[in-house]
Amino acid sequence: MLDDREENIFLSRWLNNELTDEELADFKADPEYKHYQKLVTATDTLELTSYNMDTALHTIKSSKKTVAKSPKVIKLWSFAAIAASIAILIGVFMWHPQENFTTVVGQQMAVKLPDGSEMMLNATSTASFDKKDWENNRTVTLEGEAYFKVKKGSTFTVVTPQGEVRVLGTQFTVQAYPTLFEAICYEGKVQVSNRNQQTILTAGNAYRNINDQIIEQWDVLDTTPSWIHQASTFRSIPVQYVFDTLEKQYHITIDAKQLDSDLRYTGTFPNNALDIALKTVCSTLGMQYTISADGKTVVVEKQ
Amino acid sequence: MPESTQSTCNEKVFDDFFRSHSRQLRSYLYYKFGDLEQAEDMVQEAFIKLWNHCAKVPIEKAKSFLYTTATNIGISHKRHETVKFKHKNYIKQRKSDTTNESPEFVMLEKEYMEKLKEAIAALPDRQREVFLLSRIDKKTYKEIAALSNVSVKAIEKLMHKALVSLRKKIGNI
Repeated sequence: MLDDREENIFLSRWLNNELTDEELADFKADPEYKHYQKLVTATDTLELTSYNMDTALHTIKSSKKTVAKSPKVIKLWSFAAIAASIAILIGVFMWHPQENFTTVVGQQMAVKLPDGSEMMLNATSTASFDKKDWENNRTVTLEGEAYFKVKKGSTFTVVTPQGEVRVLGTQFTVQAYPTLFEAICYEGKVQVSNRNQQTILTAGNAYRNINDQIIEQWDVLDTTPSWIHQASTFRSIPVQYVFDTLEKQYHITIDAKQLDSDLRYTGTFPNNALDIALKTVCSTLGMQYTISADGKTVVVEKQ
Repeated sequence: MPESTQSTCNEKVFDDFFRSHSRQLRSYLYYKFGDLEQAEDMVQEAFIKLWNHCAKVPIEKAKSFLYTTATNIGISHKRHETVKFKHKNYIKQRKSDTTNESPEFVMLEKEYMEKLKEAIAALPDRQREVFLLSRIDKKTYKEIAALSNVSVKAIEKLMHKALVSLRKKIGNI
């Protein structure tokens, strides 16, 4: 039964459990039986090394792509591409990291913008811009006061709650406080939009809107704002702003109750010497001042 | 003309077909031509051909197209070089279920397994092909017969011969 004659299929039948009980008993009695049993048992523990079906399918797919037979295939790929693009675009628009800069009382800060333009923040001001999108959108959001030196390029815009200044040329300052909006152009051209009104300032032009009512325009001779050189300069400004400026530069509180709000001030005071500054302002206005013991409060009264 | 969902050109149909047939085709080509890596290349080649002819091959005929194509690829490869059946790194012992085997088997020495693999490699091609399809891939004689278009009886004869050959080759170890 275990020879290899052409017609013999005994072992095949054994493996298939097709032997009769008698045949099986005979086979088990044969000394060869255990050898065959062992051979089959051992073979049954064998397997092929694993097959990476996904990699294979992927390879086939990539070669399919180059053949580009079926429009259906192309469609699926392009859907995937469109979906991916949309996801990326959403990601880009949703994720705009803002750079924020804030100065405290008495502090100034120079900020280099991504394109090399410069922004100098005066005291108690906040500016922010989108670094990632700067190339397409040169916009700075500002509260307070800042001086800009703008590199040539696309439109440069300073957005403030009070209005917008759009740069057509190069150097300018913006002052944006709740009741005061002022822009001075030192070089080139800027366009000021304020309450739906647009004004173009050329070098030496200044623009101001106080309390949203009085719009003034005048000329300046300076080529940079005075505060860059540690001084504050005013031209015919309501005296309240002068005191506000003093408070911002020196971290003091000014008590000026009996002040005539229509009073205007023109002049310059230093930002680094409180006594001189107070003397300069008060003597011009015909007032006198007293500094409190802790140096934090200044009382201003009529002489 | 809209493609029917059962067209071989339908991506999902093609993928499903690949997943249910590629592994078996790989084994078949390996047993037949003796090199597993080459077999994997042939599988890819055959499936790419199937895809390129997808419009002409309905899914019911795809399997026979695939095996015929792959076998032809294998034969043309073999014409250029004689491949000795390679088993190193290709056939190995399953790790997971050795504990389920009979105690005798657990005792089987490495030497025996090596001898067995060499004996399998030394089998005549047809015997080895049938023996491995049956024992490793657990194909029935009927299925094996269908793969190479011969009778079940022919497969049973080959199987019997393969066992006798192996037994002789291994000896009383």
